[in-house]
Amino acid sequence: MKQRFKNISVLQFSIYAVLLIGFIGSLYFINHNHGFYDQPIVKITAATVEETQELTDIYGNEDVLYTQQLEGKIQNGEYKGRTIELDNEYSLSGADDHEYRTGQDLFVFIEEAAGEGAALSGTIDNVKRDQYILAITWIFIFVLLVIGKKQGFYSIVSLALNAVILSYALDIYIRTENASLLLIAAVSVLLFTVTSLLLVNGFNEKTYAAIVSTMLGVFAALLLAYFAIWTSGGNGLNYEEMQFLSRPYEVVFLAGLFIGSLGAVMDVGITMSASIFTLYEKNPEISIEAMKTSGIEIGKDIMGTMANILFFVYISGSIPMLLLYLSNGAAWPFSFSITLSLEIARALAGGLGIVLTIPIGIYTSIFFVKRKRAAQ
Amino acid sequence: MNVLILLAVMLCMAMVMIGGKKGAISFLSLFINFLVLLFTVYMIANSDNDPILWVIVACVIISCVNLFFINGINSTTIAAFLSTVITMVVLLFFILIMTDTTMINGFGEEELDELSLFSLYIGISFIELAAAVIIISTIGAITDISISITSPMREVHLHNPGISRRELVHAGFAIGRDLLGTSTNTLFFAFFGSYLGLLIWFKDLSYSLGDIVNSKIFAAEMITILCAGIGIALVIPIASWITAYLLIRKSGSAE
Repeated sequence: MKQRFKNISVLQFSIYAVLLIGFIGSLYFINHNHGFYDQPIVKITAATVEETQELTDIYGNEDVLYTQQLEGKIQNGEYKGRTIELDNEYSLSGADDHEYRTGQDLFVFIEEAAGEGAALSGTIDNVKRDQYILAITWIFIFVLLVIGKKQGFYSIVSLALNAVILSYALDIYIRTENASLLLIAAVSVLLFTVTSLLLVNGFNEKTYAAIVSTMLGVFAALLLAYFAIWTSGGNGLNYEEMQFLSRPYEVVFLAGLFIGSLGAVMDVGITMSASIFTLYEKNPEISIEAMKTSGIEIGKDIMGTMANILFFVYISGSIPMLLLYLSNGAAWPFSFSITLSLEIARALAGGLGIVLTIPIGIYTSIFFVKRKRAAQ
Repeated sequence: MNVLILLAVMLCMAMVMIGGKKGAISFLSLFINFLVLLFTVYMIANSDNDPILWVIVACVIISCVNLFFINGINSTTIAAFLSTVITMVVLLFFILIMTDTTMINGFGEEELDELSLFSLYIGISFIELAAAVIIISTIGAITDISISITSPMREVHLHNPGISRRELVHAGFAIGRDLLGTSTNTLFFAFFGSYLGLLIWFKDLSYSLGDIVNSKIFAAEMITILCAGIGIALVIPIASWITAYLLIRKSGSAE
């Protein structure tokens, strides 16, 4: 125990202290932040199911509808402390409704009460989710730190840093008129790559080689995707189902593809350069041919799994929509092409980026090795 | 010419050109995984089937494809398979609790405008579905890390036959930690890419911070990203312990 205690440096101790203070402080704040919201928040104190009704829609889907009577206390604003009664209707499946439980916080719209002292009435707007988001963020931070130690810390920092860069880049895009999203995405991609790789690997030739091959790899993926869309005239891509569109959809799609494939391509880029440099460091006399062959062997092992990672990330999000189409009597090919075409295109283009980064990574790393050799 | 077919042909050609036979197997495994996913959706679409059960089945089949089909059946892949499945089940229960308490099930108000023509009462539990979506999004990454931990651990054990179980677990942790940064990055950027439209939407409509944090869609995306990160971290101890246990027990019984 004593030994263990000695191993903790001042820096580590202060990191732990900051974490602990941040944890307690933020949890306290988020549970007492009702006053910062303009919209009234209600804490549910009682919930009873009044009515149950079974129903079958025209497609033969069976569901159950419940009517719920809720009672709660208002937490902020001019009616703070008063009781409110709310009605809620929810279904067993819950595609657009929720069963509320006591202790939950809800955003509501208040309607005037019948008389002074009588309970208020109102309608439910949304669930207050900020405290849950915070809780899971802390779970994430602690799990990564406990298991990953220093590397876990770097992953968290890199995630936070990249999120800030992305948010800032999008701010610039929104504020600038006629800004090109692809250009902004390209600059952000360069920043993402440089910060992430430098953070994990430090300043050295291995990192530089990885940065160059990652950039070439994502640009190759983007070019090929663009080429495929251009030659086929966009045939087979259904942008109808692309959600949340306030901007030209094709550009948003391409920029998303660009950023989305970056992580996987970066992973391949650093793997290739790390292995080529390890080969060189173990045996500085190694021939170029031998490095190429080993590089290809390593590449073969990783390309399948890397492509799989992207594939599952992209496809999974469309499952609820696909199910909704199918349950509403839409035919398989139609539902499939409407809900999945963009995600599959993304996954395939990302896969192309991954595969192309293997030779790109090998040649770039060999170029850097050659330069190092010449310098010696 | 269809874009998807064109891209698939391009990917297949690139994989075969660079990876040869192994490349062809990799492409085939992608295709099989896709069919498994479609089959799972088909089974879930019948509301008598439990989504969680079918997702576990799908995860087991997908990890079989990713591990046994690509790498063959041996002690490394078996250890990786066990670690993947155990991590999945642990993570799934955690995610189910999260989706239930945070109420991220179903569609957000932003999506519902387009869905006004649909019947939403389809009898499938959207809470379980939300958990299923998150777990499926991470399965690729989790199988990747578990095989990347178990196979070098076997090498370590092979080169140091006298190594204790404790030291072997330690080696597994070290290998896993080195993968943590790049693997979490892979997932984070993939999610950033697919949520780009949503982020632009929030900024365009000038949502306040409070609106964004409490909205169902943003909460769902945040929880997906964070659960994926937690899953990647969790697989490290699980894979290290299981592999160390299997390797040491095996050499112990041989003595």
